[in-house]
Amino acid sequence: MRRLNMEKFEPKIISFLCNWCSYTGADLAGTSRMKYAHNIRIIRVMCSGRVDPTFVLKSFREGADGVLICGCHPGDCHYHEGNYKCMRRVEFLKRYIKQMGIDERRIRLEWISASEGKQFAALADEMREQIASLGPCRVRKVIENVS
Amino acid sequence: MNYRVDPTFKTDLKKFGLQSWNDCFHCGNCTAMCPLSEDSFMFPRQAIRTMQMGLKQKLVSSIDPWLCYYCGECSDTCPRDANPGEVMMSLRRYLTSLYDWTGLSRKFYTSKVWEIGAILLLGGLIVLAFAIFWPSISPELTSEGGVRINSIIPLKWVEYGDWTMAIIVALLLMSNLFRMYLKIVHGAEAVKIPFFLYFKEAWRLIFHFSTQWSFSKCDGKKYWLWHWLLMSGYTIMFIIIVVFLPWFQTEEIYDPWHPQRLLGYYATFGLLFGLIAVIIGRLRKINAKFKFTHVSDWLFIIMLLLTVITGILVHVFRLAGMPLATYYLYVAHLAILVPMIMIEVPFSKWSHLAYRPFAIYFANLKKEAQKLQEKSGTNFATT
Amino acid sequence: MKDSRIGVYICWCGNNIAKMVDVEQLAEEIGKLENVIISRDYKYMCSDPGQELVIKDIKEHQLDRIVVAACSPRIHELTFRKALENAGLNQYLLEMANIREHVSWVHTDREIATVKAADLIRAAIEKVSYHEPLEKLSVDIDPATLIIGGGVAGMSAALSIAEAGKQVYLLERDEKLGGHAADIDLSFPYLNSVASFLGPMIKRVSEHKHIKVYKGTTIEDIFGYIGNFETSIKPNGGGKEELKFGHIIVATGLKAYDPTPIENYAYGRIKDVITSSEFEQMLLSGKILTKQGKVPEHVAIIHCVGSRNNDTHEYCSRTCCTTALKYANQLRSALPDAGIYDLYADMRAFGKGCEELYTSTSGRNIMFLMFDPEKNLPVVSEAKQDEECEMIIRMEEKMSGENIEVPADLVILMTAMEARDDAKDISHIAGISMCGNNFYIEKHPKLDPVATTTDGVYIVGTCQGPKDIPESISQARAAAARVLAGILRGTVAVEVTTAVVNEDICCGCQTCISVCPYSAITFDEEKNVSEVNEVICKGCGSCGSACPTGAIRSRHYTDRQILSQIKGMLNRGKLKITQTIIEEA
Repeated sequence: MRRLNMEKFEPKIISFLCNWCSYTGADLAGTSRMKYAHNIRIIRVMCSGRVDPTFVLKSFREGADGVLICGCHPGDCHYHEGNYKCMRRVEFLKRYIKQMGIDERRIRLEWISASEGKQFAALADEMREQIASLGPCRVRKVIENVS
Repeated sequence: MNYRVDPTFKTDLKKFGLQSWNDCFHCGNCTAMCPLSEDSFMFPRQAIRTMQMGLKQKLVSSIDPWLCYYCGECSDTCPRDANPGEVMMSLRRYLTSLYDWTGLSRKFYTSKVWEIGAILLLGGLIVLAFAIFWPSISPELTSEGGVRINSIIPLKWVEYGDWTMAIIVALLLMSNLFRMYLKIVHGAEAVKIPFFLYFKEAWRLIFHFSTQWSFSKCDGKKYWLWHWLLMSGYTIMFIIIVVFLPWFQTEEIYDPWHPQRLLGYYATFGLLFGLIAVIIGRLRKINAKFKFTHVSDWLFIIMLLLTVITGILVHVFRLAGMPLATYYLYVAHLAILVPMIMIEVPFSKWSHLAYRPFAIYFANLKKEAQKLQEKSGTNFATT
Repeated sequence: MKDSRIGVYICWCGNNIAKMVDVEQLAEEIGKLENVIISRDYKYMCSDPGQELVIKDIKEHQLDRIVVAACSPRIHELTFRKALENAGLNQYLLEMANIREHVSWVHTDREIATVKAADLIRAAIEKVSYHEPLEKLSVDIDPATLIIGGGVAGMSAALSIAEAGKQVYLLERDEKLGGHAADIDLSFPYLNSVASFLGPMIKRVSEHKHIKVYKGTTIEDIFGYIGNFETSIKPNGGGKEELKFGHIIVATGLKAYDPTPIENYAYGRIKDVITSSEFEQMLLSGKILTKQGKVPEHVAIIHCVGSRNNDTHEYCSRTCCTTALKYANQLRSALPDAGIYDLYADMRAFGKGCEELYTSTSGRNIMFLMFDPEKNLPVVSEAKQDEECEMIIRMEEKMSGENIEVPADLVILMTAMEARDDAKDISHIAGISMCGNNFYIEKHPKLDPVATTTDGVYIVGTCQGPKDIPESISQARAAAARVLAGILRGTVAVEVTTAVVNEDICCGCQTCISVCPYSAITFDEEKNVSEVNEVICKGCGSCGSACPTGAIRSRHYTDRQILSQIKGMLNRGKLKITQTIIEEA
């Protein structure tokens, strides 16, 4: 089997998508056969408001280099306002991880509607570039060294 | 430049033989199929679209209809039976009427009464003219027993008549050709043509006139052969009758291998063969090009055939030494020949003998001029 | 990881997955993982034999968890849940890994795609071992139906349901029924009078004993869930009225595009440039005249006004081409000698009888001129004084490539259909999702075209997208059939992927109550804990992520399930495939 170029850093990105808009949007990118960065690993939640801060922290703990959260556009939430809750939570989280020594740009929240397959594909590529430029996240290694 | 659309144009073109105008759905098969269509002259589809939209200003300056020899391949392969070939044909008739400044061409093409009336009138005048000389006719035979042909009227008179006719026809044709030149070369889509090109490309005129080389690129070489036989027979006959009449119409009957008789026989054969082939083709509609026959097509064929037949009969009766029959047929021969030439050559179907080679000449002038422009990178286009 | 007996099934989806993911090797490798008893790959898992395979394995190998790696769970999760039920296993003990839409269709490197698929499958395996069996709740269905919108679609649905003897509440915002169809003179393709069928339809609806029509009435809010919706409305002039119903059909219709922003067409600047709706009024009045009262000698019809252009709407409005052909026919009959020009982008005269209409129209001396709706819109301008016509339209004719001028005394703009301005409000009230252009999104474009993602709510007619009258009526009847099926069943199983409170841990802070958008959580003063009403809860999980003590669990998306999913996704462990390929620097 072939080995990938070791020089090039391929980040691991965990992505939480709400079931109604963003997950459907990602499905649409698939049905439309759009090609995007392979680094994104998608986890389905019912609403972006379900994204518990611990999910994000756990992702970094387990070795993710970035976390992408997508929800419905403001005003379009299937549950009325879950995306607003998420928005506030992400703001808080960014400040929190910064204090922990993790670059806040490793978390990103974006709105993707069910019809925005193209936008999702573009976002995935963009996120890959962004995290790749930040380099690997060292949280996991640090924790492993400590313990 | 913006061309104005005109929904009434197609109604006008129907008078020139247009069969249908809205069957075409512009698949482009005809253009892909056409052996003569090329990048700078994309027909027939483009011409059909121009016709459908009634862009008269564009049509007036269009060369495309003349570059088509109507092999009928487009009409045969058209999935909608839109008859692109016939559209091109009716456009040629329309253009002929446009080039003609007298307005007679339009009358002849759009009205049977006008066309047949004019033929009868001219024929009648010829008969009348002979009626004046008739009383003084003395049927004489030559020493070999042939009829003295020139005793009906003096050869000189016929020669003068011939020259007059040739000059009138030439003047009409040349003035119309000049109008064609203005419309095509200096019209809506003018390209500035360097002076030397006019000379450099002039060979095409003679070449294409005498060979119809483009037609030979079309499928069905036999049609080219028919056409060429007809054309060459006609041209030879025309030249020997008009320019070399004293050499041709001699009282002395030479032996059959004399060039005078050989040329005459060849021309007659060419005409007769071409005509019979075309008539059978049209009657049986063997090919798309023969499917629709406009009045002007039939009239021309019939008159040419009658001219040939009367010509042959004059020859036969003359050899047989039958003076009266010879003279009657001679008069009939001229009464058909003169209107045929006077009407068909400058105003109707036969005018394409001049328009076609000139169109190829103009097309190449434009093409070469454009090539030069592209090379030098400058734009001479004037509108 | 809990001890469980997991079966993993990897679908080829014909070649859709197998082409980009090495399913066979994947199945072999996954089979070596802990707790995985069976790991198989199969050509089409969703097919009957594919499902049989799962059922047989569950029975033979006493599997207690199933992972299906195939297409999006939005497509076949229910199919496989049913298979689990058939095998006697609780349907919630299933997890799907989406290796088609999220892997094979979006990546181009087979090895990378295989690794990603392995990650997703491992995450699913980790997650599914924490799945719990859940029992669905059954609720009664109220036999009444609310229909929003009294146009052709709304009325057709109302009649179909009422004919079955079930109560319908029909809400219409305007003072009259009939919607946009009432403003149309003739219908295409057979040029029949619309009034001739619309009039009797309105009469039947108004007089039907099972239909209660509320004209001039809007709706503010709807509460409840499938089978048990309720709202209060203020009918025209009257007092408040409470309505209870089991299903909702949304038939709010469309809005005609206002062409003023398209500079090229000079609408609003040149008076004789009118919209198709205005021309329809002209036809109804029986007189085709310019603003100066003259009979037009040249009439131009311009297609795709507001459609098929990225500056306005990308979509095709579907009916304008055939409507334009209808106009061309009506114009030719009324003005036998006029020049009639049809400026189209592509002639989309599809549908029964419509191509025939095009063919017959094109034989009536109509000049069809093609333009590019994206790059080159025609330009309408006033003609010079010495011209015979009032306006000149300049355009690049696409079929010939020529720049041409079209004379016109009257220009008819075939305006697009667009979503209503209040589409968003209704979408919130009824819980429907919208696509980018504010039309409502159906649950599945092919398999479920009138349902929405909210159970019990259906969309019909042009609120879902541009369509003609027969299509609207077909959708209305289809939705009516769905509603009647629900009413006939009498009960419905509701999702139990709701929140649940662990009373032992709940500290009574009531944070969850403040975040719940449905007021589904109440506080039990006596026990000093929060309580979730499972019928009202929609399972968004907001409370779960807000709960500081972890007392609230979002069933089927519990913290534990998702955390283990994350772990599974990021820990490649001993899988051979993943190790050999990508080990980051």
